[in-house]
Amino acid sequence: MSLSSDSIDRSWLKDRLPSSEDKAGALVLPGLLAYTGFMLFPLFYLFFLSFTSAQAPEDLINNTWTFIALDNYLNLIQETQFWQSMGITWLFVFCSMTMKIGFSIFVALVLTHERVKGKRYMRAIVIIPLGLPGIFKITIWRSIFSNARFGLANTLYMNTMETLGQSPEPIQWLANRWLAFASYVVTELWLAYPFMVIIIVSALQDVSGELHDAAKVDGAGYLHRFVHVTLPAIKRPVWFASILTAAASFQQFLVPYVFNEGGPARNNELILVYGYREAFVRTPQNMALASAIMFSALIFIAMFMWINVKKGRLADGVQNA
Amino acid sequence: MSMRQSILQNIRDDIVHTLRWPIRVAEDVQKTIIGLREGRVTYRDVATTALASLSALVFVVLLMFPVYWVINSSIAAGTPAANLYSQGIFASPAEWNLESYGWLWGESDFFFEDGYPGGGAGFGEIWNAFLASNLANSLRLSIPTVVFSFLLIVPGAYTLSRHEFTGRKPLLYGYVMLTQVGGGLNIAALIALYVVFNAAGLTNSHLALAMFYAAGAVPFNTWLLKTFMDNIPESYTEAALVDGASRRRIVWEVILPLTKPGLAVVLIFTFLAGWNEFIVAQLMLSADSHPLSVGLYSLVDERATPWSQFAAYALTYATPVALIYFFSQRYVESGLSFGGMEG
Repeated sequence: MSLSSDSIDRSWLKDRLPSSEDKAGALVLPGLLAYTGFMLFPLFYLFFLSFTSAQAPEDLINNTWTFIALDNYLNLIQETQFWQSMGITWLFVFCSMTMKIGFSIFVALVLTHERVKGKRYMRAIVIIPLGLPGIFKITIWRSIFSNARFGLANTLYMNTMETLGQSPEPIQWLANRWLAFASYVVTELWLAYPFMVIIIVSALQDVSGELHDAAKVDGAGYLHRFVHVTLPAIKRPVWFASILTAAASFQQFLVPYVFNEGGPARNNELILVYGYREAFVRTPQNMALASAIMFSALIFIAMFMWINVKKGRLADGVQNA
Repeated sequence: MSMRQSILQNIRDDIVHTLRWPIRVAEDVQKTIIGLREGRVTYRDVATTALASLSALVFVVLLMFPVYWVINSSIAAGTPAANLYSQGIFASPAEWNLESYGWLWGESDFFFEDGYPGGGAGFGEIWNAFLASNLANSLRLSIPTVVFSFLLIVPGAYTLSRHEFTGRKPLLYGYVMLTQVGGGLNIAALIALYVVFNAAGLTNSHLALAMFYAAGAVPFNTWLLKTFMDNIPESYTEAALVDGASRRRIVWEVILPLTKPGLAVVLIFTFLAGWNEFIVAQLMLSADSHPLSVGLYSLVDERATPWSQFAAYALTYATPVALIYFFSQRYVESGLSFGGMEG
């Protein structure tokens, strides 16, 4: 290593000046600027808002707010509703994630099974929910869990009970805390399973048939082969998809909002619904507190993603990009 | 082949393939019968296959039951099944009718404000009624979203795919991360967005909202389009370079034409971003600017709206999207199994 090398210094400088490649790189700027302006800037602004005392939008437009540092956050951690929301949100993520993984693997296994004829068409049909507008799916499921006598869920329940020789009253699905929660989970399952099924099916098709045949020769039964051959092969894609859908579940807003606005009695107020209520539904509005809620939710989800990206090496795909 | 032609070709192939399924089934049956006769296939085999397929079919039908329920309800106007509070959840086929679709066309805000203006109305009147409809508002959102998205996404994807510039890696990495955290960001950011839009006087602007949707579509779609462009061999562009084509001509005449399937996917995704979005639209737009998604939700809130009319509205809103998805499925699937899934 020589100490007096001008050439190294010059190349150091050259490396840091814009090259012609960098000028071409300017083509990403429109997208980057738009994203920054419409997505990242509001997030920073949200962060800033959470340190102020702003109540209604007019406070911000007329500049009638004061800087109150961490007061919003201090209030928040003493608020039982905040912990209630956080708790129910994580419970929702946990329940829907386990159900999604189990159910999607089941659907994928059925629709790739060698004995099943016409599975290509069936696969095309089961992923239909993926192609329907969110608000459509959710309003339909709200009608299914309607408190009315002839909602689909109630009809099913009443008919079952009648065959058992009883004559029950219709269930008030959305007026009972845990029934409402269960209805959220079932709906979320129906919303999210097609995505998982697509990924698991494509993973299953990569599972080597030879390994299966070898295991068969060794006398391994279906369950054995599933646990020791299939599962290890699809583990990573399933994990990847689960993290993505878990992140989506954490941010679920429409299902609780459309079903019963996080009710009954704010028991099932998922975290984003809580923030939305403070900002837009409740009077007087409390924009600053709502910002603190939303920002806390973002911190939680960012931590969740960060841990998973680190542990599960989710972004490995980028390296060979 | 132009993009339109190639898409039409694909749709035609899909339809032909679907229509030919009885032929394939017949061939299959024939093969099985011959197999049975020659003793290659046992009756037990046939029975297991039939049973497995049948159970799978029943399972699929059960899964899609909500969709069937809505379809049935939409053609059940006037029957007990048209109301969640009265007897029955299915109308019998004898009572099927299209009344709720008549309501959709003639009275709702779906196609025209307060329905089709009727026989005496001139073209101008009809046109104005259309311009005030939920559908027109949805198009006012979706079409600009597509235009803005293309302006933002295509140049970025091209340069990410073809140029090695400073900060490329972190940017790609960031885009992938943001696609994954993307979904709820706009709800969390809604408060700030609401204040900013208010301050700028943009609360009732379809264009501003379209710009917002387009910006939100940038990370995922740029990444998707880049992976499509990566698959175009470098040798193609080199050959064009040797022939003396300028950079610009190469982009227009080599790269973009070969990226057509990717462009089609981005077109679909960004159009749907504007078509499907509900929360932001509901908050930012006033009642007479509401798109179809908000129009649908406002029907749910009115208890008086018969279930069959709601079903007709909902289905008419969802069907184009479902059709688009169905025919673009192969691209969407290949898009969803993008990089990072292997290993």
